[in-house]
Amino acid sequence: MNKNADKKTKINGSELLQFIVLTITLFGFWLILSGMMKTKFLIIGFGTSLVTAWFTRSLLRLPSAAGQNEAFLAFHFPYLKYLTYWLWLLGEVVKANIDVVKLVLDPKMPINPQIITFKKPMANPIAHVTLANSITLTPGTVTIDLEDGVYYVHAITDEAARSLVPEEGEGDMPRRVACLFHEQETVARGGEMS
Amino acid sequence: MKILAVLFLLAGFFFTAVAAIGVLRFPDFYTRLHASGKGDTLGIALSLIGLAIYEGFSLVSLKLMFIVIFIFLANPIGTHVLARAAFRSGVKPWTKKGE
Repeated sequence: MNKNADKKTKINGSELLQFIVLTITLFGFWLILSGMMKTKFLIIGFGTSLVTAWFTRSLLRLPSAAGQNEAFLAFHFPYLKYLTYWLWLLGEVVKANIDVVKLVLDPKMPINPQIITFKKPMANPIAHVTLANSITLTPGTVTIDLEDGVYYVHAITDEAARSLVPEEGEGDMPRRVACLFHEQETVARGGEMS
Repeated sequence: MKILAVLFLLAGFFFTAVAAIGVLRFPDFYTRLHASGKGDTLGIALSLIGLAIYEGFSLVSLKLMFIVIFIFLANPIGTHVLARAAFRSGVKPWTKKGE
């Protein structure tokens, strides 16, 4: 990124805070991996964390997915809400995995694969990553492609497709992710592709 | 405690085995991705959690939990990249109607 673009770009969140959080995270990771508490190793670890955080600062400034002159910081999101979301997702993953086990072991294999599309415009790229990853993790659905906020999802059964794109309104998961990142509640529905 | 660890390990083995069976039984590339992408994630996560419980609270179990977190973040991305590559190079999904 050149300096002229930097001046105009609106950045959400504080870069200094991101730098501090990243350094602390990296240092904590170092401590767990090394397990040695001698002063020499602590100083080396802290120095390495600082340098790494400094060199990755421009990589972690993500341009807006909505195409506006706006940027998001990779470590700028509500941590506690994110954690609760992942705990909820963990429960969903286990529940839905049992469904897939039933599908695999069913001798008739009642599957009806289909590709569904739905539009979920969100400005924050991290929100898109979270949603796409969540869709892939919940059995029955795999994110195939994501372009300009349009999701192409491969669903293995009718139920899996309907849970993500219900007849009316919006699926539970996109709504939760949007709420997590304070995105506006908009959804446009795509047709079914076969 | 050891019984709990063994239960977790067994559950992990079960899910991984079912994922393998799913890869063999499903009809096309995309549906096979469903089986491998998810069954594996949960299977490996459960196995590692079982090992962490067996180990007790120590640096080793903390490292195991880190591996679980990274697998949970990385495995969907790998699945997605495979699916996207297949989609863009024109692999047609299997449908019930086309049988």
